[in-house]
Amino acid sequence: MEIRNYKDLDHLELDILREIGSIGTGNAANSLSALLGQEVRITLPEVRIMGYNEAIEWIGGPELITAGVLVQLEGALNGIMLSVQQLPFANLVLESILGQTVEDYDQLNEMGVSALTEVGNIMISSFVGAISGLASIPLRPTVPAFTIDMQGAILTVPMAIFGGQSDYIMTIGGNFICNQKQVPCRILLSPDILSLNYLLRKLSGENG
Amino acid sequence: MGDKVTIGIAEMSILQQCGTLVTYALGSCIGICLYDPTAKIAAMIHIMLPLNMEAGRTNTMKYADTGIRETLKQMTARGASRNRIVAKIAGGAKMFELSGGTLGNIGLRNVESVRMTLRREEIPLLAEDVGGTVARTLYFDASTGQAIIRSYGRSDKIY
Repeated sequence: MEIRNYKDLDHLELDILREIGSIGTGNAANSLSALLGQEVRITLPEVRIMGYNEAIEWIGGPELITAGVLVQLEGALNGIMLSVQQLPFANLVLESILGQTVEDYDQLNEMGVSALTEVGNIMISSFVGAISGLASIPLRPTVPAFTIDMQGAILTVPMAIFGGQSDYIMTIGGNFICNQKQVPCRILLSPDILSLNYLLRKLSGENG
Repeated sequence: MGDKVTIGIAEMSILQQCGTLVTYALGSCIGICLYDPTAKIAAMIHIMLPLNMEAGRTNTMKYADTGIRETLKQMTARGASRNRIVAKIAGGAKMFELSGGTLGNIGLRNVESVRMTLRREEIPLLAEDVGGTVARTLYFDASTGQAIIRSYGRSDKIY
């Protein structure tokens, strides 16, 4: 069945997407673990279909300042991947890579920005690689872009891009637990509806 | 300042006489303040996209064109006069500088569409704080028509 809206997804399709989330975040966690030299586990991956304002509340409110790494996927699958790095996670990365932490993002130097961008990019690439392998489709991620700003504005980027298609945002992703400490770090995939249909066809074994 | 009313994405609210309208974390979205200073009728819209091309046109406030037109209609229904209404806008930033992608600049297109719709409706645009790369939170005081814009790492702007 062709999906016209994220809300049309049935249980089976949601399960397939949850599986993608699970494998994607699992791969991202392995990369992060290798990078930090620490144990990294993932919380149960989620597939969420949310109204715009619901999504902003879910991420933790509009005005909290966070670092965001964004990659656009092109090719057979169009989508946006985001790594949202709230301050405790940023410090965990900075501590283990550079041996220093910051009290606020405005203390980040160039090295710090590079480290956070790279960590985000590696996690996103691992996630993308997993989907690409699973569905055997080539995916072309762009080079990562980085910003530090209100997380509400960061999350509206995928909303605005796919806003003409839907009043909802769909996110596939999870949270990470590093060294038994739950640190708020999310990795999110927002696919467009056309690509979602393609992906589901590929994964449910139909000829696409 | 009175009550504070929060406007979410693709939402609009109207206040009369007193109170503050606020919308948080405008990225490429635009916060549009419309005000009749005599009747002290203030409206704020949080639009996300430039033009409404939806067949059913259900979500009017998501788009600059239909959002502004519908809001003007509701303001006049409450006693505002079209020839007194003025506008102030904020937002339309580009949150990520992406090289090689096909994202384009939604913020810029939003700004252009808001300006064009206001011009067509003959609503003077008194102030704007648009573009750039920073997110903005916008406050609008219904008793004075004053707008305050708050951003990360930048001092407040008052219009």
